Amino acid sequence: MVGLKELALEQKRKLVLIVIFAVTTGVAIIGQSYLLVAVVDRIFLKDATFSDIVPLLIGLFFAFFARTVLQYLSGRTGVKMASQVKGNLRKLLLNKFSKNTAQSSLQGQSGKKVSVMMDTVDEIDSYFSNYIPQVIQATIIPLIILVVIFTQHIATGLIIMITAPFIPLFMIIIGFKTKDKSEEQLDKMAAFSGGFLDTLQGLTTLKLLGRSKEQKETIRKSSLDFRDATMEVLKIAFQNSLVLEFISMLSMGIIALELALRLIIFQDITFLTAFFMLVLAPEFYTKLKDLGSAFHTGRGSMGAAKKLADELTETEKPVLWGTESLERVVPLAIELRGAGFTYGEDAFTLKNIQLEIGPNEQVAIVGKTGAGKSTLLNVIAGLVSVSEGEMLINGKPRSNFKEKDWFDRLSYISQNPYLFSGTIAENIAIGGRLDATRVEIVQAAEKAGISELVDSLEHGYDTPIGEGGRDLSGGEKQRIAIARAFLKSPSIILFDEPTTGLDLRTEKILQASIQELSKESAVITVAHRLHTIKNADKIIFLDNGELLATGTHEELQESVETYRNMVSVQQGGMAN
Amino acid sequence: MNNLGYVIKILFVEKKDIFYSILCGFIAGITAVGLFASSGYLISKAALTPSIFTLMIIVASVKMLGIISALGRYGERYFSHRGTFTMLSNMRVSFYEQLEPLAPTIFRKYRSGDLLARVVGDVEALQNFFLRVFYPPVVLLLVFLCTIFFTALFSIEVALIVFVGLIVTTFVVPSIFALTQRKVDRLVRQRRGELSTKVTEFLYGFRDLKIHQQLEEKEGELHQSVQAYLDEQERESIHNLFSQAANKFLSLLISLLVLGVGAYLVADGRLDGIYLAMFAMVSLTVFENTTSMAAFPSYLEESRQAASRLTAVVGNDSEQDKSQEVFENRSIQGVPSIELKNVTFAFPDETRNTLTNVTLAFPAGSKTAIVGPSGSGKSTLLQLLLKFYSVDQGQIRFNNDSIDHLSQESIWQKTNVVLQENHFFYGTIRDNLLLASGGLSDTEMEFMLKKVKLGHFSLDDKVLEKGENLSGGEKQRLAISRALLIQSPLWLLDEPTSSIDALTEAHIMGYLFEKAKEDTVIVVSHRLTGLEKMNQIIVMDHGTLVEAGTFEELMDKKGYFYEMKQIEQSVFFVN
Repeated sequence: MVGLKELALEQKRKLVLIVIFAVTTGVAIIGQSYLLVAVVDRIFLKDATFSDIVPLLIGLFFAFFARTVLQYLSGRTGVKMASQVKGNLRKLLLNKFSKNTAQSSLQGQSGKKVSVMMDTVDEIDSYFSNYIPQVIQATIIPLIILVVIFTQHIATGLIIMITAPFIPLFMIIIGFKTKDKSEEQLDKMAAFSGGFLDTLQGLTTLKLLGRSKEQKETIRKSSLDFRDATMEVLKIAFQNSLVLEFISMLSMGIIALELALRLIIFQDITFLTAFFMLVLAPEFYTKLKDLGSAFHTGRGSMGAAKKLADELTETEKPVLWGTESLERVVPLAIELRGAGFTYGEDAFTLKNIQLEIGPNEQVAIVGKTGAGKSTLLNVIAGLVSVSEGEMLINGKPRSNFKEKDWFDRLSYISQNPYLFSGTIAENIAIGGRLDATRVEIVQAAEKAGISELVDSLEHGYDTPIGEGGRDLSGGEKQRIAIARAFLKSPSIILFDEPTTGLDLRTEKILQASIQELSKESAVITVAHRLHTIKNADKIIFLDNGELLATGTHEELQESVETYRNMVSVQQGGMAN
Repeated sequence: MNNLGYVIKILFVEKKDIFYSILCGFIAGITAVGLFASSGYLISKAALTPSIFTLMIIVASVKMLGIISALGRYGERYFSHRGTFTMLSNMRVSFYEQLEPLAPTIFRKYRSGDLLARVVGDVEALQNFFLRVFYPPVVLLLVFLCTIFFTALFSIEVALIVFVGLIVTTFVVPSIFALTQRKVDRLVRQRRGELSTKVTEFLYGFRDLKIHQQLEEKEGELHQSVQAYLDEQERESIHNLFSQAANKFLSLLISLLVLGVGAYLVADGRLDGIYLAMFAMVSLTVFENTTSMAAFPSYLEESRQAASRLTAVVGNDSEQDKSQEVFENRSIQGVPSIELKNVTFAFPDETRNTLTNVTLAFPAGSKTAIVGPSGSGKSTLLQLLLKFYSVDQGQIRFNNDSIDHLSQESIWQKTNVVLQENHFFYGTIRDNLLLASGGLSDTEMEFMLKKVKLGHFSLDDKVLEKGENLSGGEKQRLAISRALLIQSPLWLLDEPTSSIDALTEAHIMGYLFEKAKEDTVIVVSHRLTGLEKMNQIIVMDHGTLVEAGTFEELMDKKGYFYEMKQIEQSVFFVN
């Protein structure tokens, strides 16, 4: 990812266009001013007839027309440029999100990522649609005007040359001052502006405590404090433009005075030239002031650009796949050899994991919160790539095999399965079995204990769920995920067992379903139930990202003290 | 427009700032016109070689006008911004006054919390209403009228042209573009919504999409949505540019017309040529202000939408009436007994009943625990007792008096409540505890902090918005200490200790029950521990009452509670 300037330079053609538009706009301004002056001159001093100046008026019409059309075209090019950049950025982000599995799905910052994708990218817009055209125009047009002024009347040019530099100079000096001041006020302002939201969110609490009426005054006070703090900052900004206004006013006054004196006393310039200068000088200063406000526009986008750059530079090892097929008939055995995984420097790591999981084996992963259970599940699922060691499938590196073949043989039942926007039937059939018949879907739903609920709905299996559809409870979602697994009949099931809060029925269905599924598949469970642990063929005991021990419940009870302690604390804790 | 009427009403509270904004804006505008007029006149006059003295007067007036114009601009900016922020403050207060009686019922509708943030944003968005919609046209009109009056002194024809120009560039053209603006706006918002939904689905469902190999397809759809959104945005921007350009061109044409007609009149001998330059300058300057009118429709539309969203939030009268129907202003006397008879309740936006036919009794001074899986209706039951909602069928009685006869406030006054989500405000621990009761001494508060094992907190410790610098357990303990400081005869506690470890929980609840010895206590409990001493345990599932009894009775019965207890014992809580 590069900066905004580099992104702009990528679109050379459009930039050149904007420059051309600026130059021609400059020419149009000169032409417009000249024609205007010429009309007045001929009528006022040269006693020309109206028909004499008609060509000039027609010329003026075209100058006006050219000026507006060019302005429009320049803005339009900027808009197109912004669209292009925004489109590219969104593509880059999407690409990044879909390639970087761990980042996208595992770190739980989806909300933030949505806002980067939507709002942050949109904030870039004004840089390209406003800032760039404005800066280009505000640099080129004053130069053209200045050149013309110099060719016509050197004194005016000199006055401008002396006074004009004060404008950017003041901009810079004052800009720094405002920045300090605004940063000083920023914390204060943030605290105030949050106050209203804070009160609204706490309204229930306030009412229960009988305190809501008094809050009115608090809101008023914090709002007014916010106003005063903001006005402090704004006042400086307004004073700046006042000063700038004075500078340009002063120099235009000097110009006018000089011209008048020349006209009257020295009589060494014509009315035409003098009036021409008088019309051009304000155009010069207006454009220069535009440059100042353009910088203000640009600043907002800079922050957004930095955020995007940060988002795009986070890198991760991609998950690679190969071409070898995994026939459905071949049983699957998984092995991790010295496998490790890290979310990044200083972040959580999984270290040196050795383990083998045979076909149809029942495995329970046990450990404290933060021991690395979910990470291990994601490594086994092939959602992330090991950063050290390797993962083998039937003795060969996982990366030899086709991605599709692997995922076709895998189901993942998380604590909060995701429902796609679609019907219940579509949600069950998703994942390689889109050709499933309605009969098969209903069978899977029956096995997962969700068919009763589905039948009770008006539209049955055609009821829309997911985003914008009917909301299902946590237990119901999990049963949909189980129905998916029944339909898919995978070789490996990864299961994140729920902790508590399920009703007895879902609890029983879960147990029965998993047991049923385990007849045909290896089930690897992040386990929270004692009976799951007791029934497992193999327990993987993790602590702080390391594999402490593997074995059956009895073996671990016997040989591993920490495990024994953990189990007895649990049971002891429950007894009282 | 009615919605904006409400905004305007609030706006008019700040009459002084409105007046000064308009006055300063007018001075700035009219002196700018004067400045260019006099400089045009100056140069023409100079061409006729007048006396130095005349010239000096004109030069001086040019300068003076320039200075006044700059000062006027400063004043306009200052007063209009100050007025805007004051108006926003009044707006917030007024909005709060209207929202306050509707809480907490209204929050059910907008559970996300996003909505409140949007409300705040909408109030914020209204700042453009005064700054860009309300007063600038007034200033514009005043400046134009004076300019027209001034030009009419020299030439009726020119004045007429300027007048027509005013009508065209400030009324006709913006209204035409306003018509198309709405449609374009709507499409942009629609496309944005679609993209946002797809991005959300893509990111939240990432793992499932990946495993079910739907990722590529979704990515393809996303690319399309990205493009569709961009196209609409682009169309909107270009539409805006076009309307600005069109308006600008028209205003330049008017100036051209002024020049042409002026030239004709001079050539015809009906106007002194010395004024021609002045007219040209005046026309170019005065029409510069109209360019901003092109953006007027979009600001108007934005303000209109913000205002209508705000009024929609507070304007739903039907629900308000239901909860505010207070027949008699009775209050709860002494320690209450509560009865529920065949209570059935569904949330307004849901078809499923959350509670079905629940009959229960909480005798005065009794201690009750409500247990059940998540989604069983436990919290809803508690909320009905607090009269957050009215029951659909059945009856709730406090001391044999129907809940219909009690206002929300009269119930809350007698209740110590700890909800699942307790709000803490930006401020100090002391500020947040003082909400319980104004007259508390530091010693009392410190004592209570110790009792809930928060002795390490000082009353001056900072609390951030929503208590985000506190852990879940700390917030719960703080909420309990707040409830303990109130000392009302009814306790309604919704999973008050779910984030507190078992040992601390036992300690705190022990103290609470000691304090509440005489009171009626109802606790929704997430765990099945520590329930042995309860007078009754109520087991809920899917909105119905499954069983009720003491701990021993339920364990002996070997029913739902017993099985839940078995599961809980086998669950590995590893924290």
